[in-house]
Amino acid sequence: MPSNNTASSSAAGSSDSSTTRRNSKRPKYSKFTQQELPACKPILTPGWVILTFLVISVIFIPLGVVSLFASQDVVEIVDRYDNDCIPPPSRADKVAYIQGAANKTCTRTIVVPKKMKQPIYVYYELENFYQNHRRYVKSRSDAQLRSVRDENQIEGCKPEDDVNGQPIVPCGLIAWSLFNDTYALSKNNQPLNVSKKGIAWKSDREHKFGKNVFPKNFQMGNITGGGRLIPNVPLSEQEDLIVWMRTAALPTFRKLYGKIETDLQENDTIHVVLENNYNTYSFDGKKKLVLSTTSWLGGKNDFLGIAYLTVGGICFFLALAFTIMYLVKPRRLGDPTYLSWNRVPGGGR
Amino acid sequence: MDKPPPSISSSRWSNVSSKEVTFADLASKRIRHGSAGADSEMLSMSQKEIKDEDARLIYINDPDRTNDTSFDFTGNSIKTAKYSVFTFLPRNLFEQFHRVAYVYFLVIAVLNQLPQLAVFGRGASIMPLAFVLLVSAIKDAYEDFRRHRSDRVENNRLALVFEDGEFRDKQWKYIRVGEVIKVVSNQTLPCDMVLLATSDPTGVVYVQTTNLDGESNLKTRYAKQETLQKATDLETFDGFIKCEKPNRNIYGFQANMEIDGRRLSLGPSNIILRGCELKNTEWALGVVVYAGSETKAMLNNSGAPSKRSRLETRMNLEIILLSLFLIALCTTAAATAAVWLRRHRDDLDTILFYRRKDYSVRPEGKNHNYYGWGWEIFFTFFMAVIVYQIMIPISLYISMELVRIGQAYFMTRDDLMYDESSKSSFQCRALNINEDLGQIKYLFSDKTGTLTDNKMEFQCACIGGVDYSDREPAESEQAGYSVEVDGIILKPKMRVRVDPSLLNLTRNGKATEEAKRANEFFLSLAACNTIVPIVTNTSDPNVKLVDYQGESPDEQALVYAAAAYGFLLIERTSGHIVINVRGEMQRYNVLGLHEFDSDRKRMSVILGCPDMSVKLFVKGADSSMFSVMDEVSYGDVIEATKKQLHAYSSDGLRTLVVGMRKLNDSEFEQWRSSFEAASTALIGRAGLLRKVAGNIETNLRIVGATAIEDKLQRGVPEAIESLRIAGIKVWVLTGDKQETAISIGFSSRLLTRNMRQIVINSNSLDSCRRSLEEANDSIASDDDESVALIIDGTSLIYVLDNDLEDVLFQVACKSSAVLCCRVAPFQKAGIVALVKNRTSDMTLAIGDGANDVSMIQMADVGVGISGQEGRQAVMASDFAMGQFRFLVPLLLVHGHWNYQRMGYMILYNFYRNAVFVLILFWYVLFTCYTLTTAITEWSSVLYSVVYTSFPTIVIGILDKNLGRRILLRHPQLYGVGQRAEGYSTTLFWYMMFDTVWQSAVIFFIPLFAYWGSTIDTSSLGDLWTIAAVVVVNLHLAMDVIRWNWIAHAAIWGSIVAACICVIVIDVIPTLPGYWAIFQVAKTWMFWFCLLAIVVTALLPRFAIKFLVEYYRPSDVRIAREVEKLGTYRESQTMVTEMNQIQDPPRR
Repeated sequence: MPSNNTASSSAAGSSDSSTTRRNSKRPKYSKFTQQELPACKPILTPGWVILTFLVISVIFIPLGVVSLFASQDVVEIVDRYDNDCIPPPSRADKVAYIQGAANKTCTRTIVVPKKMKQPIYVYYELENFYQNHRRYVKSRSDAQLRSVRDENQIEGCKPEDDVNGQPIVPCGLIAWSLFNDTYALSKNNQPLNVSKKGIAWKSDREHKFGKNVFPKNFQMGNITGGGRLIPNVPLSEQEDLIVWMRTAALPTFRKLYGKIETDLQENDTIHVVLENNYNTYSFDGKKKLVLSTTSWLGGKNDFLGIAYLTVGGICFFLALAFTIMYLVKPRRLGDPTYLSWNRVPGGGR
Repeated sequence: MDKPPPSISSSRWSNVSSKEVTFADLASKRIRHGSAGADSEMLSMSQKEIKDEDARLIYINDPDRTNDTSFDFTGNSIKTAKYSVFTFLPRNLFEQFHRVAYVYFLVIAVLNQLPQLAVFGRGASIMPLAFVLLVSAIKDAYEDFRRHRSDRVENNRLALVFEDGEFRDKQWKYIRVGEVIKVVSNQTLPCDMVLLATSDPTGVVYVQTTNLDGESNLKTRYAKQETLQKATDLETFDGFIKCEKPNRNIYGFQANMEIDGRRLSLGPSNIILRGCELKNTEWALGVVVYAGSETKAMLNNSGAPSKRSRLETRMNLEIILLSLFLIALCTTAAATAAVWLRRHRDDLDTILFYRRKDYSVRPEGKNHNYYGWGWEIFFTFFMAVIVYQIMIPISLYISMELVRIGQAYFMTRDDLMYDESSKSSFQCRALNINEDLGQIKYLFSDKTGTLTDNKMEFQCACIGGVDYSDREPAESEQAGYSVEVDGIILKPKMRVRVDPSLLNLTRNGKATEEAKRANEFFLSLAACNTIVPIVTNTSDPNVKLVDYQGESPDEQALVYAAAAYGFLLIERTSGHIVINVRGEMQRYNVLGLHEFDSDRKRMSVILGCPDMSVKLFVKGADSSMFSVMDEVSYGDVIEATKKQLHAYSSDGLRTLVVGMRKLNDSEFEQWRSSFEAASTALIGRAGLLRKVAGNIETNLRIVGATAIEDKLQRGVPEAIESLRIAGIKVWVLTGDKQETAISIGFSSRLLTRNMRQIVINSNSLDSCRRSLEEANDSIASDDDESVALIIDGTSLIYVLDNDLEDVLFQVACKSSAVLCCRVAPFQKAGIVALVKNRTSDMTLAIGDGANDVSMIQMADVGVGISGQEGRQAVMASDFAMGQFRFLVPLLLVHGHWNYQRMGYMILYNFYRNAVFVLILFWYVLFTCYTLTTAITEWSSVLYSVVYTSFPTIVIGILDKNLGRRILLRHPQLYGVGQRAEGYSTTLFWYMMFDTVWQSAVIFFIPLFAYWGSTIDTSSLGDLWTIAAVVVVNLHLAMDVIRWNWIAHAAIWGSIVAACICVIVIDVIPTLPGYWAIFQVAKTWMFWFCLLAIVVTALLPRFAIKFLVEYYRPSDVRIAREVEKLGTYRESQTMVTEMNQIQDPPRR
């Protein structure tokens, strides 16, 4: 047959072998082959639907309230300094200032609005910084971070892969652009210790960053992107780097800078002496210093609580609406008069 | 099946000539469809003389010389396997890449290899393609391995080949064309061979062709008289055969043999084919003419034509829409990226996360991986194509194939569709159109063998114008007729009820004129046929059974009837027949036989009787017989007979008329000379023979007429009623007379008494037009009445291929039943085409015989009945089954299910891929318009392969929207498919809106919840992955109707599998996302987000689904409620019952 292409004949070949066995045995009866496996066949009855909506609203509204409370409990101090920390004369050309050699030290004063229980997390927040940019996220070498043997695996790291043929460790744009503003905090003129230990994931410290991998040729290129690393400390202990290398998912993000392990009282004044080194000015990035406590649900964000309350409310409303509709205009389930051929007089078409 | 002659199954009569005519007619028709056209050309070639360039030469018993010629004979080894070890890889890959889907995969994978576009890593980008190729390759390899094995077995079988003066065993694969082979009884023939000699002195052999065409009765083949004696001394056998080139027509063969300078013509009755078995013959000698792959059996070994399902064709529109979406998404990504790059073009060198310049090369820097603004846009676009590739659900095609295989498995294993009598279960020959079974609107059915059993029962005889149709069996005759010959009792195998008065008449000898006529009548029934009697032993050594084997069930019925009245046909060779007439053996010489052909619609035999007279017996359809009767002498008998025939056919009986004439010497001599000339003619032999027959078959004396009942198959009336209630228009196409057809129509409930019959029975174009237009107007005037249209073949000649087709179609559309009678086989395809070309509704044709092949191939769905009449219909069909009534479960149950499942599966696959793509797309808006994916590349790849694919396949195979019983009880539920409610563009758009909503919820809830937090890419990606998988699977779970353990396992298993995969990906330390899932899953935030996403995403769908199902319930929904709440009781009444239920709902 001309209509047979080669593709179909393969299937046909096998079917033909079955046709030659024309006398087939009666198929053995089983619930499976007759598609009669015991099955539950739920249908959406008004009762079930209304119940479902009620259950959802009963779960969601309390969850929303709890989430909102959790969010309200969080005390958060945000201090944007990227603009303020540039001396007014230099504000015309911020990029030039930040790239220049002038002293970048800047002092900020923060008043604690409410009592903050320890641990208080110190974050830096960047806005408009696309750590998730495709060029950026790809520019790293995880193998190199983990083991000295793989320090030459730098293919993905361009344009920060090597210096004069020597591989950079850690290579790539991510490491190169390491955040390097520093904060020195003091409370009521007493130095306030900011602990930098344990700010990175344990799993990263122990397995992802090698204990015997040391920085090499880092920031030795023609231009410096960001912070430097201490040469004789293994990467697994350079927690700022580890935190930085966990690239943020969204263009507005915080990264943990350290932890304050003492409580802060209301109206405590905190002086921050910061080195404003990091260049976010070339892309209008904002920099903020954040001091925040956390709740069991995370940071200060009302969104989830509102979302839960909204959904719970809608479900409650729907349950109510369906109940009213059901009472006003019920339809008898399984009523054959609704069948199309019974509705049309003389149907059957 | 309905043959051109009204009451005789023509192709049984003499398969050769009638089939040639059938196909030749088809070929000349304007409409060409599929393979039938090509076949017919080959078939009709057999009728022509072989031209030299079309011929091959075979030297008998001289294989060396034969194979030395330039004809390029193949050896006898067969190779059904497609690949060898070395060719497997390239050939299999080549064949697999014939499919567009794979090419798409490949193009995407290749694009991804370009360094500028490398979105995914090497492994992740090639994996889906590699996976699919591997699975298909393993499947192909396994199938091919099995073919190799069976080839080996086949090729190593042994046959007796004449070599060096003796017959030696030789393996089949070494047999060459030109060799002489001896086959013994019950052996399978190794190749196609021309018979030289047989153990029978007259040169007859019997073969069983079950393997070839499925017919289990014996066929007779003959060796030429001239070769019979010569074959005793093979060493000196010298001759050659000039035969046509190999072709796939198993009923045609055209060749000449030249021995000792004499030319003999060979026909299909002189060749025995590979795959047949020799029966009832001790041995046969033949010369190999076609070997191996050139044998007719092998040439016929190809499958059903591939069709595409309506749903799949419909789906292409939505695929195009999805492609447009894809392009739109990619364009958006590229355009926004362009804007961003333009706005920041001065800062690109220094932006920390961009760093265009590579200063390590030289101080002024060189652009790193940046090719200019235009190129960047271009690359972004194609990167987007790669990232969003699964928007086009390529995995859907693979899923659909798997689902169809699963559905086919369940259809073949269905208990309800197993035919006990023929021991055959349902066969799915076409795997592409399962879901079409749920959308059938027009059913074209053959009658004989499809609606009826094709088991003929002799019912009435009309002898000399007198009707003998007392069908009440007398008690004494229950034992059946038997006769004792040489101490052995011979009994016909089948009993026939006899008419006592007629029996008495025949027993009283030739005393009266009436008795003489009765005897003549039964003698002609016993003699004028091509039946072969086979005497078989029974457990009682003194009793032997006579079994009549023949190709026409009508003839069998007649011969059994003759036997019951004492005319027991005992022996038939090509030269004589022996009939035991009430204990007296009579030998008749068969002087000539004119086989049946569909032009003459009759056959005749010339017998030399024991009393030395020469008689011509003719049997045929009444229309063709009355014209050759001697009307002058027997006018009154003819009139009386005609009246009786009319009565018979009104009862739905098939009628035949028998006539005879004594030939005087001169007539006989004249006939003999012209017959011999015609039968050895080399050009136009068939036509010449027909002419000779026509010349002698004149001036006949009417002997009588027979009426045979063609019994309806079990369950046919109920089935037709069900199908009609289901809204399927049933057209019956039959070759029967109008009266017979109408009566069958009533008994099969196609017609009912309250239908108005419109009969179109015209002899000219004008009258045909007139009556059709009248009919059209009359239906238009009152539409309440149900109308049956009855149209005959002659009228159809004027209608088809003409502007009248439109009028007929209009009339037929308004009629509830259409009956076409006296339809020629070629018209059947024309009628199907008439409907198919005018409507988008699906057509199904069902038939069982060779003359239904064209119709089966023309219709959207072809169903073959594997019944009495061979396997051509089955070979051409998409589905094959044993009984007509299986159509009901096939369409109403399996068709309904398959359609619903497939429709849902397609929509769901669009949805699940689009949700994922949109999630990826939303993220791009927050990554500076670059194609970053938070979801790991491995999850992107595994998403459509592992995370979400199993449930859709399982549900596509197993879910049932309604139970079998309720579907059978309410055939109207079939309307769901006819109205295309399971899949439509509207549903597609609803689905897409839902998709956008769900993807937005999945994406934006975490986005806002985590905005300005320390969340990292991998953690958020993991959340999105898991949320998408859970939502997509729960979405499916919401639509699952039957929750059996397999559905549970598939859906919950998929979610678990996805989580495991995410975990596995996250424990690889060299991936950036190391341990992210554990970090994120231990926060409450993660679980709160997940819960909010799942509920919010599915909420609108859930509410709307409920509202629609509750306030605008579909039939299926109501039926489900009925099924679930048990609001119908087990009762015998069918449809009305549902209206009476007063039970309040339980909930």
